[in-house]
Amino acid sequence: MVRLSDLDPAEEAHLQARADAMSPVESAPWVTPRPLYESTVAIVSTAGLHRRTDPPFQAGAVDYRIVPGDVEWGDLVLSHISTNFDRSAFQQDPNISFPLERLHEMANDGEIGGVSNWHYSFMGAQPNHAALRDTGEEVGRLLAADGVDVALLIPV
Amino acid sequence: MREQSEAVNPPRALWVPFPLGRPLGAADDPDFQKDVMRSALAMLDTASEPTIQDYPIEAPPVAGPGVWACPLNLPVAEATSHTGRLLAEVARLKPWSLETRNQRGRTLFGATGAQPDQVEAVAAALGSIADTGDLQSTPGDIEWAFEMPILIRHLADDLRTFYHEAVAAQPGSTAPNHEALSDWIFGETALGDVLQTINGHLTAADDFIMTLVSGFLIPEAHHGNDDGGHWSSSTH
Repeated sequence: MVRLSDLDPAEEAHLQARADAMSPVESAPWVTPRPLYESTVAIVSTAGLHRRTDPPFQAGAVDYRIVPGDVEWGDLVLSHISTNFDRSAFQQDPNISFPLERLHEMANDGEIGGVSNWHYSFMGAQPNHAALRDTGEEVGRLLAADGVDVALLIPV
Repeated sequence: MREQSEAVNPPRALWVPFPLGRPLGAADDPDFQKDVMRSALAMLDTASEPTIQDYPIEAPPVAGPGVWACPLNLPVAEATSHTGRLLAEVARLKPWSLETRNQRGRTLFGATGAQPDQVEAVAAALGSIADTGDLQSTPGDIEWAFEMPILIRHLADDLRTFYHEAVAAQPGSTAPNHEALSDWIFGETALGDVLQTINGHLTAADDFIMTLVSGFLIPEAHHGNDDGGHWSSSTH
């Protein structure tokens, strides 16, 4: 996330208008997971990243791509539609928005219980987030079936 | 953005004061990244109702406009066509871009469906669209992952990736930020001229889809500035 006031005025106005147009989301049931050192953690990204062999995200896509926990960085590309965010940092270090190596380090150090076998990627910049309900719930079921306790949702 | 998070009403959210594209704050800085992650994960213990918490630490500074400058003089050719000027520029940047690929052992180039060694074909495709103004015909003979005209937006992204990778390996480079890179590309390169020219074609088409592609082609700060914009980050 970023301060709107840090952005170019045109971009600030654009994103403020997008925020104003969003309809509130009802609260989800409150869940308290098991202790972090016992929890399996997954990443859910909205950076539009996917494997090079996957079909890219099309404009307005509400579907998702699966990313295996042992993915090689060289297999990942970005097809996010927005041109307003910095891709050079991800080019330099994919952990900046998809911190898979950090999660594995934290698992090895015992800070978290484990790293999910699968992670999930959507494309952000969604004009209508309600359209993500079906695929969002689908990913929720997949995460639960995989024994995931905590989903780290990382916007870009 | 906090404004977006408030509307989505997540159970636990950590707001971070970092630029778009850098949600964990600092590239190649595992300690900084993990501190951000630990702050977010700690909310599993501390929050008892939907909460947006602020991360208090600013990201380490990254070179912005006025601090970083590309040492190369671009564009490199006075060719009569956009395609000619773009291909000459790509040739000048290619050794540096390949160096970065070798150092990193990877590249983000190729979201269009092009193979990593098809940079010239991507440049020729984008250049031809600028030269001809043809926004309908599929350019070149690559099996693209997108159809026209949205392909234009991803051709631009693949080439910007190539340019970013070229900059990353140059001597003295200090990893410029998004604004510095955008000011450079849209203010000083043949690629920027090509994208502004195509943007003019898209706007002139007076068509909903073409207008949509235009909005995704050029950062907000550089829209409508065919001299490259030069939006200064002095307001930051």
